[in-house]
Amino acid sequence: MSLSKREYEDYKAAVDKMVYKYVARDRSSVVSAITHAVDSGCDKRKVEDKLMGYVDKSMAYKLAEKAFLLLEDIGTKVKSTSSRKRTHKEDNDREKDSKRARVKDEKEPVPNIKASQPPSSGPNNTVSPGQIQAQQIKDIMAKAQAVIEERKKAMANLQTTESKPTTNGAAVPLISQPSPVVIASAGSGGGDVTSRIAELQARIQAQLGNATALGISSLQMGAALGTTVASTAKPLGEQSKPTPLILDAEGRTVDQSGKEVHLTQRIPTLKANIRAKKREEFKQQLQEKPIEDTAESNFFDARVSIRPSLRVKRPFKFHDQGKFIQLAQRERAKARLEKLQNEISQVAKKTGISSAAKLAQLEQREMKSVCDDSPDIEWWDAIILQGNRYPEEGEPVKVKDDCITRLIEHPLEMRCPSDPLKPVTLEVLLTKQERKKLRRMNRRETWKEKQEKIRLGLEPPPEPKVRMANLMRVLGTEAVLDPTKMEKHVREQMAKRLKAHQDANAARKLTPEQLRDKKVRKVKEDTSTGVHVTVYKVTDFSNGSHKFKVETNAKQLFLTGTVVLFKDINVVVVEGGPKQQKKYKRLMMERIKWAEESRSKDADIESKCQLVWEGTTSERSFGEMLFKACPTESFARDHFKKHGVEQYWDLAYGKKILEEADSGN
Amino acid sequence: MVKQQLRQLGEPICLYGEGPADRRNRLKEILSRLGEDALKKTVGGQQEADTPDHDQERPEETWYHEGPQPLKEARNFIVNYSIPRARARLKREHLENQVPEATRTARRQEVQNKLRSFGLLGSQNADARPICYCSFSPNGKLLATSSWSGLVKLWQVSNCLEERTFRGHNCYVDCVEWHPSATLSMEPTALNLVSSGRDGTVQLWSLNGEEPLGELPTLEARVSRVCFHPSGRFLGACVHDNSMRLWDLEIQEEVLFQEGHSKPVYCLAFQKDGSLAATGGMDAYGRIWDLRTGRCVMFLSAHQNPVLAIDWSPDGYHLVTGSEDNTARVWDMRQRRCIYTIPAHTGIITGVRYDRIGGQYIVTCSYDGSVRLWCHGSFQPMRALEGHGQKVMGVDVSPTEGIIATCSFDRTFKIWGPD
Repeated sequence: MSLSKREYEDYKAAVDKMVYKYVARDRSSVVSAITHAVDSGCDKRKVEDKLMGYVDKSMAYKLAEKAFLLLEDIGTKVKSTSSRKRTHKEDNDREKDSKRARVKDEKEPVPNIKASQPPSSGPNNTVSPGQIQAQQIKDIMAKAQAVIEERKKAMANLQTTESKPTTNGAAVPLISQPSPVVIASAGSGGGDVTSRIAELQARIQAQLGNATALGISSLQMGAALGTTVASTAKPLGEQSKPTPLILDAEGRTVDQSGKEVHLTQRIPTLKANIRAKKREEFKQQLQEKPIEDTAESNFFDARVSIRPSLRVKRPFKFHDQGKFIQLAQRERAKARLEKLQNEISQVAKKTGISSAAKLAQLEQREMKSVCDDSPDIEWWDAIILQGNRYPEEGEPVKVKDDCITRLIEHPLEMRCPSDPLKPVTLEVLLTKQERKKLRRMNRRETWKEKQEKIRLGLEPPPEPKVRMANLMRVLGTEAVLDPTKMEKHVREQMAKRLKAHQDANAARKLTPEQLRDKKVRKVKEDTSTGVHVTVYKVTDFSNGSHKFKVETNAKQLFLTGTVVLFKDINVVVVEGGPKQQKKYKRLMMERIKWAEESRSKDADIESKCQLVWEGTTSERSFGEMLFKACPTESFARDHFKKHGVEQYWDLAYGKKILEEADSGN
Repeated sequence: MVKQQLRQLGEPICLYGEGPADRRNRLKEILSRLGEDALKKTVGGQQEADTPDHDQERPEETWYHEGPQPLKEARNFIVNYSIPRARARLKREHLENQVPEATRTARRQEVQNKLRSFGLLGSQNADARPICYCSFSPNGKLLATSSWSGLVKLWQVSNCLEERTFRGHNCYVDCVEWHPSATLSMEPTALNLVSSGRDGTVQLWSLNGEEPLGELPTLEARVSRVCFHPSGRFLGACVHDNSMRLWDLEIQEEVLFQEGHSKPVYCLAFQKDGSLAATGGMDAYGRIWDLRTGRCVMFLSAHQNPVLAIDWSPDGYHLVTGSEDNTARVWDMRQRRCIYTIPAHTGIITGVRYDRIGGQYIVTCSYDGSVRLWCHGSFQPMRALEGHGQKVMGVDVSPTEGIIATCSFDRTFKIWGPD
């Protein structure tokens, strides 16, 4: 943001005053910092940062605030550089992104008159009015015209492609703003680009004429023009003292001196306002869509609502009699039904009807299979009785011949299934001393045998074992004659011994596969003498990590089993050895925090895990751990029945129902 | 080493006050007596000895031997006793089947409701040692308990007061049972009670004497259960020498020595007709014997661990067994198969009982400290009674009222019933 010289001086004085009020020392430097920063277009934040070097933070903030207020007072609208950048960008983006433009619609992005400033000159280049020559002005004007032509074309294209208002923002007048916006085209008509361009063109012509005649700066000229236009547009614009709005070639708002001015942008912050605005824009969009690039549309402002000459007749809308009464009755009936259902379920809970009904259901299922016709005679009685019938009352019992003897049967005795196949032998545990002694004796024996063989000449005597220490003693004269060679020999022998030792160790070492097998063997347990089975019931299995833990631990422990997911009765069955079960039990009952990590949305269900049953069976019923989601109770039972262990499900389900019944009672 | 070799030779591995040096010397002495290769011989000899023994113990097929003369007589008696009872039972069953389904369902519902309302009626500290068995008298007024202290006590069921104490055993008393007609038609002075001890003593009691009426010849092994035949004439006992015995109390003689289990026989139950007896053994199998023909008519093989409890349903063909594998199994004699496995407890099952009146429910008790009631038919858990803090060692169902008694390691017995 650049200020004109005069403004700069004014501003400096004001700032000086202000600073004098707040700051005790370093006044001049603070003043210069503020003015510099403001002059070079820093935003409030940056100014504040700069001031931090001189004063403390809160003071810096205050000063910055004040400085900007002063700036506004001076009559210049100050905008941050960042937002200015945005306007630049937006000017460019406008064609592509009209939506964003709609949001920040308080800006006036219409391609505008190329004011006296050449496009190359940045906003900081202040040009004093006297310096401008007529020739220069002419050149500038020529350039501006060229630019306008270009823009015109571009706008025409835009309208055909997008057919969206690019400048609809002007339709929202800045009511709260003290300086009324006066736009070249009459008041609200800023949207119609082409018409405005035409108008602007006319203005430029006039400007050219004036510039030569009056010899004043084009900027002032433009401003003057602006005021004239404004005065003509006044009746349409706001009533309060208007500040003329002048737009330069790039569509920026400029003040009378030709400096760029940033209008404070009012962006609605309330959601409702945003929505209202959007709605409005959308409506406009709809209205403007049909605008075509015809010559007529150039002169037609779509936003000006053309009232139909005749008012549409709005007929009365009568509701049928009793419509609302019916509606109300329906609502009431609904509420009553709900209440009734609630009551019934309450009563049922109290009296235990629902639980009893469920119990009865369970009962029924089994009784069907159990009930069968009773025979006329028990088969064990039929074996011994004559005539295959029971004797009548008073009749003596007639028994088949040779049935009753005094022979005593000795049936085959069966091995107990829980007995190990091999007899368990008591291992003799030796103490450490005993073990050492045993090893010593064994080694001595083998050594003695070897000695014997050597003595008999069956084996060649081993090479003398030499070390560096006994080198001289063992090799004697040879070592004296050629110590280097002998030392080398000794070292070789030592290396050989070491290698032999290491090789022996390596040979004893288990291969990775063997090691893995050993680990697996240790985890797996022998279940030939009985499989330990545990059944857990979990109320809530909604947390995926629980599922993962349950499954992965079972796999790692080589447990088999199944998980059946059914509403709040999730049954986990695992089979394996006792040690595996112990670890798994700890996982289920202690390690997993069922209640705390529950992901269930249903707050009534407290997630917990119950041990339903543990015991032994002779064989495994399940394969590898699998999850089974069951939609119905019978489906779940069938799943267990398929594996021949429906009792697990019955027990878990029955317990659950009884719990419910208990709590209901 | 020295100890191992001594053990191989069958010598004591350590004598009192003996040091390693003395032990070495002892081994040397022994070896010098027996010769150097005595050690090798013993190792080989043991292996050789093992195999033929094995063959002798396990004959290839079923074989018979002649029992004593009174056995045939006893069997004839049982035939004449059981057949009419079986006929009567079946008649009742037919009648029962004619009752409409709705009535039966209603009756079942009633039983269920009764089971659901079961609660504690009374509790009594019975002894200074754990109570291992309890049994209702046939009239349901008295309860007999047996304890590890060697005492057998009688209690009034209604108020849990002690009626009488029987002192006779000087070891754990594993079982006490009532004569089927005791307190009903039996005089108090006659044989009313029988109890068995862990040292193999079986004592007979009247209701008014402190001293036992008599004692059966002491057996070598523990007698875990004794049981009267429904006729009251015979007394069965399971002995831990892998046998089941049957005494004829009239002639005071052992009439049957029944083998068949490869491990100790632990429990025994007679069918209501008196024709069948069921035994459960530590070999995890159960066997059902026809007492008239002496044959094993059914082999119950499904349990994984020792069968510790067995009971017949009053309907005469259902049977429940409880085992150390924490399951109770229900068997059907007519279908000759296990019809349901109840995963009943999380500890070993020490007692199972059928409802004595209609066979409508099953009671199980376990070392996990709970007593559970199960519906017969659906085998659904109806109620868990968890009053005992410790192992529950025995359970019995009253033959007259629908109440049950349990006894526990916590030295109390408790009476449970519908509120």
